[in-house]
Amino acid sequence: MERHVTQNRCRPGPAGPVGTVFLLLCLARVCAAADFSADIVGGNAAPAKVYTANGKVRIETPEAATGFFLVDGAVGTAVFVRPNQQIFTDARQSSRLTRLFIPVDPENPCLQWQAAARNAGVPSADGEWHCERVEGGKADDRPITQWRVTSPNQDSGQCWIDSSLGFPVRVRLSDGATFALENIRVAAQSADLFTIPPTYRKLDPQSLLERIKHSDVWVESPQ
Amino acid sequence: MGTRRTVKKLGLSAAAFTVSLIAATAGMAKDEAKDNDAADAIRTESPIKHVIILIGENRGTDHTFGVYKPKGKHQTISNLLSKGIVNEDGSPGPNFKLAQQFQVKPQPLYYVGAPKSAKAVYGDRGQMPQPNTAGAPPAQSTTGAPFPPGFPEAANQIDPSPDFTPLTNTILTTGATNLPANSLDSRIPDAGMLPNGPFVLQGLNISDDDYTGDTTHRFYQAWQQSDCSMANATKANPTGCLNDLFPYVMATYSLNDSVTPAVQGNFSAGNEMGFYDAEQEQASTLKTLADRFASSDNFHQSFQGGTGANHFMLGTGDAGFWSDGKGNATTPPANQIANPNPLKGSTNKYTADNNFTNCSNFSQPGVAPIVNYIESLPYRAEPNCATAHYYMLDNTNPGFFPNGFQAPAPDKQSMLPASPVRTIGDSLNDKKITWAYFGGGYNDAVVLSNEAVASGAAMTLNSSTALGAAALADPAHELGVAYCQICNPFQYASSIMGDAAQRAAHIKDTVDLLADIKSSTLPAVSFGKPDGLLDGHPQSSKIDLFEAYVQQVLDALEANPKLKAETAVFVTWDEAGGYWDSGFIQPIDFFGDGPRIPLLVLSPYSTGGTINHTYADHVSILKFIERNWKLRPLTDRSRDNLPNPRMRDDQPYVPKNMPALSDLFDMFDFDHAVKQPYLE
Repeated sequence: MERHVTQNRCRPGPAGPVGTVFLLLCLARVCAAADFSADIVGGNAAPAKVYTANGKVRIETPEAATGFFLVDGAVGTAVFVRPNQQIFTDARQSSRLTRLFIPVDPENPCLQWQAAARNAGVPSADGEWHCERVEGGKADDRPITQWRVTSPNQDSGQCWIDSSLGFPVRVRLSDGATFALENIRVAAQSADLFTIPPTYRKLDPQSLLERIKHSDVWVESPQ
Repeated sequence: MGTRRTVKKLGLSAAAFTVSLIAATAGMAKDEAKDNDAADAIRTESPIKHVIILIGENRGTDHTFGVYKPKGKHQTISNLLSKGIVNEDGSPGPNFKLAQQFQVKPQPLYYVGAPKSAKAVYGDRGQMPQPNTAGAPPAQSTTGAPFPPGFPEAANQIDPSPDFTPLTNTILTTGATNLPANSLDSRIPDAGMLPNGPFVLQGLNISDDDYTGDTTHRFYQAWQQSDCSMANATKANPTGCLNDLFPYVMATYSLNDSVTPAVQGNFSAGNEMGFYDAEQEQASTLKTLADRFASSDNFHQSFQGGTGANHFMLGTGDAGFWSDGKGNATTPPANQIANPNPLKGSTNKYTADNNFTNCSNFSQPGVAPIVNYIESLPYRAEPNCATAHYYMLDNTNPGFFPNGFQAPAPDKQSMLPASPVRTIGDSLNDKKITWAYFGGGYNDAVVLSNEAVASGAAMTLNSSTALGAAALADPAHELGVAYCQICNPFQYASSIMGDAAQRAAHIKDTVDLLADIKSSTLPAVSFGKPDGLLDGHPQSSKIDLFEAYVQQVLDALEANPKLKAETAVFVTWDEAGGYWDSGFIQPIDFFGDGPRIPLLVLSPYSTGGTINHTYADHVSILKFIERNWKLRPLTDRSRDNLPNPRMRDDQPYVPKNMPALSDLFDMFDFDHAVKQPYLE
């Protein structure tokens, strides 16, 4: 076991060519993670399913039962896909799972978490993040690193990262919510799981809101 | 321009329309429908064991059925066609002048019943304010409704809820105006040169499948438009409401001509005078239902004005009021109090177009003209305004968020503090009779509310704004913004919304309505409200989208014949949406009644295309429930205390014993059940 071996900080994203190289190096490390599937248990809902391959993540959660989330860390996107409607939207903050259960660098996970929070439009995501490594060891014969995450928002807490998977396997947030991966099965995943068919259309949430503002459903406050 | 929809127009199949009349007894339905159905065990006055009340948005009787010929034998209807105001093709008829509209010289104070000497009729062609696109969607879009016809797969995106079906796909691709917002609606034939009176929303470029500009429909505007005065009374119109200031009030109540003359505050203009022609395949699903079942041509919105107050009356038989959240009437913030008196120097611009009035105080702006008129009526109508109560006249969100969170500062959040007014839900609870309110998008609204609470937005913002912000952050549950909070009268009530167990038991989503029908676990009393995209509201929805919602519920019932046999479906609207109507109005109290709205009653016992003329309003539905399940009136001041009308032979639309409201039982023949499909 180790304590206080490393402290990583993520300040507002490194800019310019140096930053780009830094980010690519980090992503290269992240993308080396193994492909697998697992259950996400915890929170207040029934278990969710997670699939990863080549740095992409698919999450199916009963909290958003009409579709699934796709996260692509390499391009910094997270979307919610509704197969029945053949549409997708930016996921933004629809599920905190899309910000927590993503491929991360086991030696510097804050970078990916901050990028995910920023991509989701989480308030204060550009503030200062700390990832303080507090312990290491093994879980189920897998090498684990444990981190204390301090962020300027509700994503603070503790996180256990499976080094071989390059993926969080347990998260305990400061609000008390705890999530853990169970039934991890390392295996190649079908590319179809991570592909949005080209016929699907992207919905702009603002357009729906604007249409609703023309109805009696929307009640403006008096001046 | 909107293309004709291809999915839904419901032609009548001869085979399907074969009606089998069976000599049924009152017990027939009961014997057939057992299984899981707990409602069967409850004694009822009629064979009806379930009612489902489906409520659309903003359509009047003449607006929807102005050109409709009853299908039933020897049936008559009071509408534009029968009065000769228009011809069957929608063109001006021999009595077109009966509908002509007037303008009024500026008056120093708000009025109901304009002085005759101040009125002047609009000229013939193009003089009446003309129809306007207002905020109707100008173009198809790949990111919002309506979608391009070439992308039917994208149509679902406008309403990606589980209650959304392929039925609406094509409809959601059509109907953009292809005109600028707030411009003359040149899709309407002769727009710009329309004569002074109603005009048909039909032509090469416009039909019931097109989005149209909305009209304002608010309390003081509606009273003023009705132009009621006993000086106008006649035998056929003993309450003297002329309904002849519709475009004028729209054109002037927010016209800022005294301060910034170039600013036109409202673009409703002449939209109030538009109507559909049911004899030419407009609103064809509704027409089919009217042809096969029973409908009313004397059913009224219960409250002058808009959505929230009318739904509140539907759930309580009364008006909501500002309180301390513990049942005690208090004064709302100054920016909530209405003052419809005209600004000095303006034609008719309201000083403060706000939502609350203490109508027990005659010195409050706007109160005296209405109360004086009510008290001049030739029958015992009372304003029914309790001392120091500021009543909710126009749309105000409930003090509870959809998840039950109680707004901590309703005065600052512009939300009605938790209401003590007793609801029909409370009454049903007392007798252990099952009931539920099924609101489209409700489940998503709960998720958004949870997020608004977590973010702190619910502590300070109005619930519409808070849910809107949450939706942009959580597109997976975005449909929650389309859930209509002000349409749910129970969301105002402390007794229901403030009690987690009550909320869980009774406040549900459309998906639950469909599931309950399928599983024969439908409550005895169900209210169904589509989300804001399917509710048929002009500008944000279309009449055929509400038809699709109705059809979805009816299809579910059709698949459960046992349940269908003992269910009455009431299809109605919250209000006429500001649309002009030619029907008689019986004022009851300070709050209403208002213009006619359609009512269709679908059951095996209400068939044959009959048209009922007995005077009724939203509260009549409460009276039906109370009579059928043997409940008492909700309170000693609620409108369900009014007697059933005794109708006059010489004037079939005017009760002898005003004020009076039907309990709708005379729309049924409980001695005979007719088995027939709803639509196909």
